[in-house]
Amino acid sequence: MKNMLRNLCKKMFGRSLWVYHANSGGCNGCDIEVLNVLTPYYDAERFGIKLVGSPRHADVMLCQGPAMRSTAKALKRAYEAMPAPKLVFAIGSCACGGGMWHDSYPVIGPVEKILPVNYYIPGCPPRPEAIIYGVAVALGLVDKKTAPVQFKQMEYPIPQYHPNDLHTKDEMVVYEKIDRI
Amino acid sequence: MSVLSKLKEAIVCLKAGRVTLPYPAQPRPAPPQFRGRPIFDATKCIGCGGCASNCPAREILVLDVCQEIRILKYLGRRCAYCGRCADVCPEKAITMSLEFENATNSIGDISQTLELFMSTCQRCGRCFKESSPLEQLKMKGYRFDDLKNDRWIFKSQSYLGDQPVVDDIKLDLE
Amino acid sequence: MEKMLIRTIMAVVANVCMVLLVAPLCQGMLRKVTAIIQSRQGPPILQPYYDLLKLLGKEDLESGDSPVMQRFAAYLSLATVLTVACLVPMGFPAPMNGQGDVILLIYLLTLSGICTLLAGLSAGSTYSLVGISRQMMIMIALEPLFAVAIIIGAIHTRSFRLDTVLNGSVYANEGFPWSGLIMLAVMLLSFQAFVERVPFDIGEAETEIMEGPLMEYSGPKLALFKYASMVKLIIYSALFVAMFAPWGSGLMFPLGWLLFWAKVFVLVLLVTLVAATHARYRIDQAIRFFASLMLVALSALVLAGYGF
Repeated sequence: MKNMLRNLCKKMFGRSLWVYHANSGGCNGCDIEVLNVLTPYYDAERFGIKLVGSPRHADVMLCQGPAMRSTAKALKRAYEAMPAPKLVFAIGSCACGGGMWHDSYPVIGPVEKILPVNYYIPGCPPRPEAIIYGVAVALGLVDKKTAPVQFKQMEYPIPQYHPNDLHTKDEMVVYEKIDRI
Repeated sequence: MSVLSKLKEAIVCLKAGRVTLPYPAQPRPAPPQFRGRPIFDATKCIGCGGCASNCPAREILVLDVCQEIRILKYLGRRCAYCGRCADVCPEKAITMSLEFENATNSIGDISQTLELFMSTCQRCGRCFKESSPLEQLKMKGYRFDDLKNDRWIFKSQSYLGDQPVVDDIKLDLE
Repeated sequence: MEKMLIRTIMAVVANVCMVLLVAPLCQGMLRKVTAIIQSRQGPPILQPYYDLLKLLGKEDLESGDSPVMQRFAAYLSLATVLTVACLVPMGFPAPMNGQGDVILLIYLLTLSGICTLLAGLSAGSTYSLVGISRQMMIMIALEPLFAVAIIIGAIHTRSFRLDTVLNGSVYANEGFPWSGLIMLAVMLLSFQAFVERVPFDIGEAETEIMEGPLMEYSGPKLALFKYASMVKLIIYSALFVAMFAPWGSGLMFPLGWLLFWAKVFVLVLLVTLVAATHARYRIDQAIRFFASLMLVALSALVLAGYGF
């Protein structure tokens, strides 16, 4: 009986996520896009997502902005105040990897240097659809569309020729391929 | 009475119907000229490294493994999708695609690695290690970033000599 | 005698279970109608059930100044509202009717308001203290309105028993019910404040402006508080319907019961409409509003004393 209740509670976790928005030094571009997601046009409440004002009530922390030296401790304390089970989403290029300001004087780096991040939503700023897509990937509704790409060029793609191999024929310079390279 | 006017306001809002976009159920393409994820076309790339020099977030790393092979690695983490790499590329090998659905749970998923063949000098074709660091730099092509740790190297001397390349900030988080 | 006791216990359990099951549904309906008014697709109607289950599954953190008082306040809030649910007639006579009078009802309702104050005090942060000071001011201005309504009913029917007072007693004088109608208007205007919805949810659920007294709660204790506020909506609607709109409560079992719940849903819909179209009042505007309502209520009390 207790196990059944526990499994039910675990399943309900994905259906009602309460979100706490923590901006640690960003430019507020991603802030505005997150607020856009909560408007009627891209409604986030149909997934059960609610914005709460205290990290103790929240399940998901939306981090935005790179980790700054001044707010690092505050961010860590807000993360520790959240009750388990918890998720961290890093929204925007600044939170995913430090952004364009990664070597600036107050910036420590991406948010993952301070907190363990579960999902990354890159973009500068990410479209509201991209944020909803990221939440849908986290909830398991859609599959993710990225995978690492590696490409190896074939060897010797550029033809190498020696001036000795060129013939002139009727005002044209002809390259006749000879076996030796 | 203000209560009546508020109820009239409620009825007016009801006339607008429901404006929510059914987004994950139905796809919503980006407008044209939208700068999404950059796609590197390796068949057109000549390995000039212009994109790497021009990237404001220093997200494209170049490593000359040996004389003939140059590895270009695009890590998607800090990319701000500004499009400068696509503007500068002389062969138009980089296109800013319309893809914005880049969310993932491991950040290495967005990286693209190209291994390119650069031909050797046709006159001398040098392939032995040079003595002084300057000659080494001239042979290696002046660009080597630390691909293993995904870092852009500021001081090339430290690559040759195994010194730390970035001053890490020590922080007390307790 | 024992049969009576067993019947009472079964009726109490049935009443409490019914209230517990229907309360999140009313809250869900409220959120969905708010969303429809705001032209968007809102959460599914069963969303508050998912919320409560999810909160029960989270880790139970101990935080704040005194965790024992926090736990006690959470338990007390749900316990008081469920006790009131046993005393209120909900389409059929209340299970514990003979065991309490009107003074007990007023006491329990005030106690459920005090639980929020205890919660904020035990958290001990500045935001909680501001929240509970505002909640205290509102409670001081608000509880007397309800007490005046009940006392008018008691004056008209000359008894303090719950089953006579909660049966449309405000209209129960000989001539035209002046005091009853005045009290109806007063209660309608201040109903939003009793159920802690938008124009007047200054003390407790003020999570948009500050975190309020519930700031340090997480997991199961927060679930108890949220449940208590959902049940408060139901019991205040039930009290309102019982005192001011009791027509049809004497019908046979299915019909009277359904009529009661229909009236409660109409009242919840009215609360939703007002909540979706108004902004929150500042504390001084709210106190001024309640003070003027208090003057009107006292004049109604004087009229009732003279028999009108």
